[in-house]
Amino acid sequence: MVIAGIPETLDVIFLFSRGPWWQSLHRTMLRGILGKTFRLVGYTIQYACIAHCAFEYVGGVVMCSGPSMEPTIQNSDIVCAENLSRHFYGIQRGDIVIAKSPSDPKSNICKRVIGLEGDKILTSRPSDFFKSHNYVPTGHVWLEGDNLQNSTDSRYYGPVPYGLIRGRIFFKIWPLSDFGFLRDSPNGHRSPGD
Amino acid sequence: MSHLQMLSRIPRPLRTLERGMAQSQGWVTRYFKAFCKGFFVAVPVAVTFLDRVACVARVEGASMQPSLNPGGSQSSDVVLLNHWKVRNFEVQRGDIVSLVSPKNPEQKIIKRVIALEGDIVKTIGHKNRYVKVPRGHIWVEGDHHGHSFDSNSFGPVSLGLLHAHATHILWPPERWQKLESVLPPERLPVQSEKESLHGSP
Repeated sequence: MVIAGIPETLDVIFLFSRGPWWQSLHRTMLRGILGKTFRLVGYTIQYACIAHCAFEYVGGVVMCSGPSMEPTIQNSDIVCAENLSRHFYGIQRGDIVIAKSPSDPKSNICKRVIGLEGDKILTSRPSDFFKSHNYVPTGHVWLEGDNLQNSTDSRYYGPVPYGLIRGRIFFKIWPLSDFGFLRDSPNGHRSPGD
Repeated sequence: MSHLQMLSRIPRPLRTLERGMAQSQGWVTRYFKAFCKGFFVAVPVAVTFLDRVACVARVEGASMQPSLNPGGSQSSDVVLLNHWKVRNFEVQRGDIVSLVSPKNPEQKIIKRVIALEGDIVKTIGHKNRYVKVPRGHIWVEGDHHGHSFDSNSFGPVSLGLLHAHATHILWPPERWQKLESVLPPERLPVQSEKESLHGSP
């Protein structure tokens, strides 16, 4: 599918160059190599911009790595993420989200939302006698991986600002044996407010 | 009477009007198609440019006085926000940056970077007197201390919340200037890890 756009506009600009010297140059060089280069650059810019808009505002396909979300998402699974929930502030408890890592903005983390702002989170282990709670501050969320033994999450670096969330994962497409919507958390509900 | 005979009875000006109307419908469809093609080029390119390269924003509030908005609410400054400079999350101490507010994700705030990761900051009004900025975080403050909702209230912010680097004031015209990255000398970090690594005796 070819959408007429930047290369056609550049062609029109070339056609306006009148005069004998320009015309012979136009016929020999520009239409040959330079024309093809500009055409390629034009299409690349156009499709890169469409791709940016799609990934930023609609969603995309992501490959996850790491053991922190087992058994829901295994290492090297391919999932679909959508970004509409983030823009409309529709992220809820129990959603699996992709977020920028708080300690390294260039890498992404994939965790489950356990608590939203204002929720009371149980931070002590079930074996502890004295229960300790933390309140999630405004504008933040509490993230935890499903594989609690092997996950660095909010229990380690604290609540995560909502602005770091990139998108919500809602569908798994690889491996085909696990194709479909994602399961609920195997750890039950951790905030006593539920 | 056949069709052709009826057609020949229509006066000449009306026939040309009919032909003209058929042509104008062709114009409308062609215009609509050209508009759609242009739309699918212009909108993604413009959105990508405003998201990734640069955009313009009006500053509101008094937290950056006197650098920004010295006139208060009478005349708000309009600044040029440069996304391209922060695409790798590289900022220097003294830069004026805009970031997503950690307390309200719908809002963007504009502050000055005071300290980078590893620095120890002497705070003003924070619950701890000295704070070491963790990895991947920065400490931001408004120039108007006391009237600023900044890291002294919410602590160090993650670099992932960085939105853009404010480089120039564009409006009002008498305030056209390049915003300099200066750190007020009383706000220098107490000890910075990065400086101590480079050849101190």
